[in-house]
Amino acid sequence: MEKIKNIFNWEPDRSLYPEKDENGNLIVDLSSQKFTKVWHGPNHPGTTGNMAIELTLSGDEVVEAKTHVGYLHRGFEKLMERRLYIQCFPTCVRMCVAEPDYNEYLLARSVEELDNLEIPETAKWLRTLVLEMARLQTLLRTVPGQAGTLSLGMGVQWGVYLRDLVLDLFEELTGGRVYHMYIIPGGVRGLLPDGFKKRMEDVLLKIEDFIVRIDNLIFKNILFKKRTIGIGHIPAEWIDKYGVVGPNARAAGFKRDVRKDYPYLVYDQLDFDIATLTDSDVYARSLIRRQDLITTIDLIRQIMAKMPNDGDIKSPTPNVLHWKIPKGEVYVRSESSRGEYGFYTVSDGSEYPRRINLRGPSYTHAVVLLEKLLINANIADVHSIMVSLQTCPPEIER
Amino acid sequence: MALKDILTPFTAWTNVFKPVVTIKDPFNDRPGAERYRGFHFNDTSKCIGCGSCEAICENEAIDLVPVEGIETKDGDSGLRPRVDYGRCCWCALCVDVCTTASLRLTNEYTWVTENPEDLRYTPGVDVKPWDNNELGWKKPEPNYHFFGQKRVSMPELHPEQRDKSFIEIVKGYSKEQAILEADRCVECGICIATCPAHMGIPDYIRAIREDNIEEGFKILYDTNPLPEICGRICTHKCETVCSVGNLGEALSIRWLKRYIADQVESEDYKRILQSDGIANNGKKVAVVGSGPAGLSAAHYLALMGYSVTIYEQFSQSGGMMRYGIPEYRLPYDQIDKDVNYILSLGVKIIYNTNVGKDISLSELKSKYDAVFAGTGLHLGRSTRIPGTDHKHVYQSIDLLNKITEGKEIHVAENIVVIGGGNVAMDITRSLARLQNIKYGKVSIIATSLEDENSMPADREEVVEAREEMATINPGWGPKEILIEDGNIKGLRVVKCLSIFDEEGRFNPKFDESNTNFFKADMIVESIGQGMDIEYISEDIKKDLEINNRGRIVVDELFQSGAKWLFIGGDIIQGPDVIHGIANGHKAAVGIDKYLNTNI
Amino acid sequence: MNDIIQDITTRFSVTDIINKRENLTFVTCRKENTISLITHLRDREKFTHLVLLTAVDWIEDNLFQLTYILNNPTKKIDIAIRTMIPRDNPVMESAHRLWEQVATYQRELKEMFGIEFPDSPRLNEPFILEGWNEIPPYRRDFDTKKYSTETYFPRIGRGTNDPEEYMKSKLYPNDPTK
Ligand code: SF4
Ligand code: SF4
Ligand code: SF4
Repeated sequence: MEKIKNIFNWEPDRSLYPEKDENGNLIVDLSSQKFTKVWHGPNHPGTTGNMAIELTLSGDEVVEAKTHVGYLHRGFEKLMERRLYIQCFPTCVRMCVAEPDYNEYLLARSVEELDNLEIPETAKWLRTLVLEMARLQTLLRTVPGQAGTLSLGMGVQWGVYLRDLVLDLFEELTGGRVYHMYIIPGGVRGLLPDGFKKRMEDVLLKIEDFIVRIDNLIFKNILFKKRTIGIGHIPAEWIDKYGVVGPNARAAGFKRDVRKDYPYLVYDQLDFDIATLTDSDVYARSLIRRQDLITTIDLIRQIMAKMPNDGDIKSPTPNVLHWKIPKGEVYVRSESSRGEYGFYTVSDGSEYPRRINLRGPSYTHAVVLLEKLLINANIADVHSIMVSLQTCPPEIER
Repeated sequence: MALKDILTPFTAWTNVFKPVVTIKDPFNDRPGAERYRGFHFNDTSKCIGCGSCEAICENEAIDLVPVEGIETKDGDSGLRPRVDYGRCCWCALCVDVCTTASLRLTNEYTWVTENPEDLRYTPGVDVKPWDNNELGWKKPEPNYHFFGQKRVSMPELHPEQRDKSFIEIVKGYSKEQAILEADRCVECGICIATCPAHMGIPDYIRAIREDNIEEGFKILYDTNPLPEICGRICTHKCETVCSVGNLGEALSIRWLKRYIADQVESEDYKRILQSDGIANNGKKVAVVGSGPAGLSAAHYLALMGYSVTIYEQFSQSGGMMRYGIPEYRLPYDQIDKDVNYILSLGVKIIYNTNVGKDISLSELKSKYDAVFAGTGLHLGRSTRIPGTDHKHVYQSIDLLNKITEGKEIHVAENIVVIGGGNVAMDITRSLARLQNIKYGKVSIIATSLEDENSMPADREEVVEAREEMATINPGWGPKEILIEDGNIKGLRVVKCLSIFDEEGRFNPKFDESNTNFFKADMIVESIGQGMDIEYISEDIKKDLEINNRGRIVVDELFQSGAKWLFIGGDIIQGPDVIHGIANGHKAAVGIDKYLNTNI
Repeated sequence: MNDIIQDITTRFSVTDIINKRENLTFVTCRKENTISLITHLRDREKFTHLVLLTAVDWIEDNLFQLTYILNNPTKKIDIAIRTMIPRDNPVMESAHRLWEQVATYQRELKEMFGIEFPDSPRLNEPFILEGWNEIPPYRRDFDTKKYSTETYFPRIGRGTNDPEEYMKSKLYPNDPTK
């Protein structure tokens, strides 16, 4: 019996390979033929966008990892420099496909803060709603998507269906499914359509049912647990060292959330809690996102109940065709599903932005953090670890 | 990890019994939502081709193209937007900015075509299956605008402050107000064609926005040497076509022009306009009349180096601008400001000299290389109804002249003015003031053939006249002036049903059963003026061509049949100041051409 | 916040202090002092989170502006440090020893603006671009429009009209004063 158990628990002696020099540094010599080089990507693995990781393997163990981006670079920051502020609004959304609304919000907020513009109350609530809906639809993909990286695709399909229902709601409210182009400098572009709240509630109920189902399918699944617990552990001291934010930081015990720490829009009028865990592994990060999903549902319900049903949606602004923004600079941030997402905007006083720089969480998560995290990981876990950081290449290279 | 963790995932099998959620396309149609941003549709009958959609499109997806069957006319460029779906991102900014709300996106989102060229089309012109889709993205509501819809209101004197005096009513914009108002312009340039002088309106409005008064001032003088005057009393036809006026209130183009001119001090004119040291070319031109046409011609001729002499019958310059328009609308010092600059260019005015009486046209011909005549309309027309020969029946133009000259005029206690144009309003309001001064009350009625909606006077003139307690009672045809014992008792009128017949000729129809009587002891006729071309002697006249409506025919450079004689202003086109200015400018170019190439 | 600003004003002679919000202040620091200021803020004032590092091209002043935005997660305040470096010799001390991810930012700044950070790891490895032969593309003098017009081909059949010009050609083509 003991023998059989040992067969199942057999582990190679990893102390021998890869070889180290007397200082404990790895000796990576590709010509020794003891190593394999594997490119993970840049195909589009489903939910994360095109990005490549150049892996050096010793057996099935990663000894070196390098992130390569550039497959999605369109130079949006530069393109915006020759666009009127209003023209940046449909352009900036493309810097994050999954949650374009944060870009819209941050651009609008930058402009409003630089030009001292207040927006109507109704618009604030609608903006908050749209931002939470954006989080909702991302998490519907990301939470089951973690299991998808381990080839459990069923939850992903459920999630994609529900996400489509959220996109239907987006379509009703904003006229678009993926790029909503709804939050415009000065306000928003429409009130809630008739019956929207009812349809929203129907979808929320379905999502709650979905959470029960993925709990059973994923979080109570022995295989998922085996493959994620203890994997991809981010030590707490890495959080500031590598600029880790959002769920990745919360799973390591850092109670950080822009919505709470730097309340914007109407978040200070909403009642919610920030979940934290301390395990800081793939499983913990998944659980945090699952919790975020529940929080978001709750927030949307609160917004629906508290928001004004009519009123102005946009403040009067100067003529958008020659709207000059006073000289100055500002940094504004918001909490995307991946963490702190911010715009640094510099105006030189003209009608074109001097510079708009996006601070996306993946800039650190997918490069320096991932490169560190993958060392000594098993090749089979690379994808899972990457997805657990919720990497998003478009926000790295813009 | 327990046995539970092995078994619970299998609960997913229950999904086998759940209904399928995918939509089978094309068996099931799935229309876009009510606000969906799908393919464009443009109501081409509403669209005016202003190009704002093109200007805002960040993807340069829109071209403005001519469309067969759509004419270029005042207020409509005749161009229509064409969309390139190789570039469009369906942001609908073009819809939100559209000045006429003609453009929208339908909720159609599927389109299969084998020819990529199809994906560039002119919405509303190239027929598409979704043209009748009512659903889709429209300009959002409520209070959602990309530029100000309301005019910045102009500060004015209250009626009580103004009804006893002739001080200027309109105070003019402050800098903040002007910049705010200028901000509303979408820079489409639609208004330029309608302005008789084709002034660079969007350009000078931009200069205001950028607070570059000197630049704006130069732009004004490119086409208009009387900006203080035009900035006050121009008929502002441009404002009737302003794109922004389609959904909101048109730009206050006239007040913005005045704003620029008001900001510049007389002593800075020459520096800004760089008009010092113009070389004289040794040629001499005579101008008859110092009205807008004459002054404009003189100005542009002087800039070209000609020595210009203006002959003016009155003791002061300005023609109708001074002798017709009351001071509360156009203060005399503002006329002087414009005129003095023209004089500073070396233009001479010989006052109190009536060409035809004091000096003949032929004499001018012999003394000068060319002559420009802008003699205007100074003969008041009469209704010729019974009683018009009474001594207390006046011509408005004569009274206005006298008021300007500071001469005493007869002001009765009850007055009726016949006429519904701006001159009628001018005399009504002037007499109302004089009545107020003399009797402490106003009793004046203005009546016209035209009804309230078709009165030719500017709307604000009518409104302000009423504010000043004058009665405006339009829609009546004068029949007879009742005279008893040699005194005027009043005016008998009948209801006017229509003014023009089917062919559009002047042929008023009356309802004789519907009469009215306006009590008065003085009547003023103000139904238009005619020209007096007695000064053109027969030997010159024989060279001129006169058309069947009695007007002298000139070519597009305002050259008459007598090659040396150029004629413009109200006697050719108008009557208004800005046509006169445009005529004078063109005639100046014509004279230059004539004297240099002898055509 | 005010105490911190006062303190660094005297110690690091920062200038141009702009309080954008109660929790966001911009300061300008001389190039030589910048890294020590940042180190001070990180270690003494607990600005432990680096929000971002980026550059702005002030081509008309012949300067690059580097902006380091630092965040104190406990006090929930941000300080943005602006440093001007000459544009014709753009070299800046590397900050990668403070936060490892700075190396990534610096790699991007090298590639996109051509700013040198001696010692910064992998500085010269291409980050986003591949086989780029033009000037660093985020510099103001790199004209994206021109580049794309020259590199790609326009769509045949495109062409537009200006309403003003078009109306002139239709309604008053021979106006001699125009
Ligand atoms: S903005 Fe509207 S009115 Fe102007 S050209 Fe475009 S569609 Fe026509
Ligand atoms: S929808 Fe947007 S991208 Fe498309 S034509 Fe209109 S403005 Fe251009
Ligand atoms: S004034 Fe009106 S018509 Fe003229 S350019 Fe401006 S918006 Fe267009």
